[in-house]
Amino acid sequence: MQSKLSDIELIEQTLGGNQAAYADLIKRHQRFVFTLAMRFAKSREDAEEIAQDCFVKAYKSLSSFQQQSKFSTWLYSIVYTTAMTFLRKKRVDTTSIDDENVYLQVEEHGSFENNLAEKKSRTFYVNQAISQLLPDDATIITLFYNGEQSLEEIAETLGMEANTVKVKLFRARQRLKEKLEKLLKHEAKELI
Amino acid sequence: MNSIEEQLWNYIDGTSTPQEQQAINVLIETDEEYRHQYEELLALNAEFASIELEEPPMAFTYRVMEAIRTEEAMVPLKASINKNIIRGLFGVFAFIIASVFIYALFTINWSAGSSHAASFNLPDVKLPVSLPNKNILRSTPVLKAFIFFDVVFGLFFFDAYLRKQRAARQL
Repeated sequence: MQSKLSDIELIEQTLGGNQAAYADLIKRHQRFVFTLAMRFAKSREDAEEIAQDCFVKAYKSLSSFQQQSKFSTWLYSIVYTTAMTFLRKKRVDTTSIDDENVYLQVEEHGSFENNLAEKKSRTFYVNQAISQLLPDDATIITLFYNGEQSLEEIAETLGMEANTVKVKLFRARQRLKEKLEKLLKHEAKELI
Repeated sequence: MNSIEEQLWNYIDGTSTPQEQQAINVLIETDEEYRHQYEELLALNAEFASIELEEPPMAFTYRVMEAIRTEEAMVPLKASINKNIIRGLFGVFAFIIASVFIYALFTINWSAGSSHAASFNLPDVKLPVSLPNKNILRSTPVLKAFIFFDVVFGLFFFDAYLRKQRAARQL
């Protein structure tokens, strides 16, 4: 069972030497951190590696957390930096992941085709569509809708201006809408 | 100038100005096409908000805590092979040996073996073998300086040790 204590109280207990408090903090944020990592990694193993790395980094620099922003905002900025570093490393080993077609190909020949049997609600397709977006777009969408972060908080997490985030969010929504329409059209064809 | 879609998203997010909000309210009420687009975006917004979070593996928390414990356990090992400590120890020993050597050079009676050119008699070396002797300590400025340096060195290392302890506690 998760603790009812606030993030700040758990941080204070962790700094006082109570490791169980940090385990509670992990349990509270792990789903979102893992989801954010998935937006970059596209495989559960890599996402787990990124998420684990983030929590270890956060633990090591917990004493430097100034409490001027929410703990989640601070944590998500660590996720973003770690995931970007991960992507840069991956870029050296593999082909350019900037190419949107690569994502489309992976999805179309991978999970989407394999999951035709489990055609579900529109939520299923929204999740499929977001997994086809570029990491930056998917991250902004996820932070805004799932992370309950304001534009200012997202800007702090990503190290951008709030206005830039606003524009990027608009474009990300447009792309997500397009992907969703494409997927639904594809689904309709399959049914016919 | 923002596009209609951009204006509508700002309206839905609540980031448009009061004047813009008022204008959009009027457009939604009067313009059917505008209202249709607004309803479409509103539905889309609700769908985006329904994006499901991924579930990490069951043992995720345990693995993170294990990784943290492993890293913490590695800290004393790192400290034990800290190059600065090794350099410091080397410096102390080098200083002691150099000091004793210089002291010995100054106290050698070089004329002791000069009259016997063919012999291999060692020079007469006077070392302070009766240390600690208060009289010698008081009367020899070199030794005083040596002890002073050792005390300063000792305090320096003690301070470094306390700083490390405090840093480890903060982690």
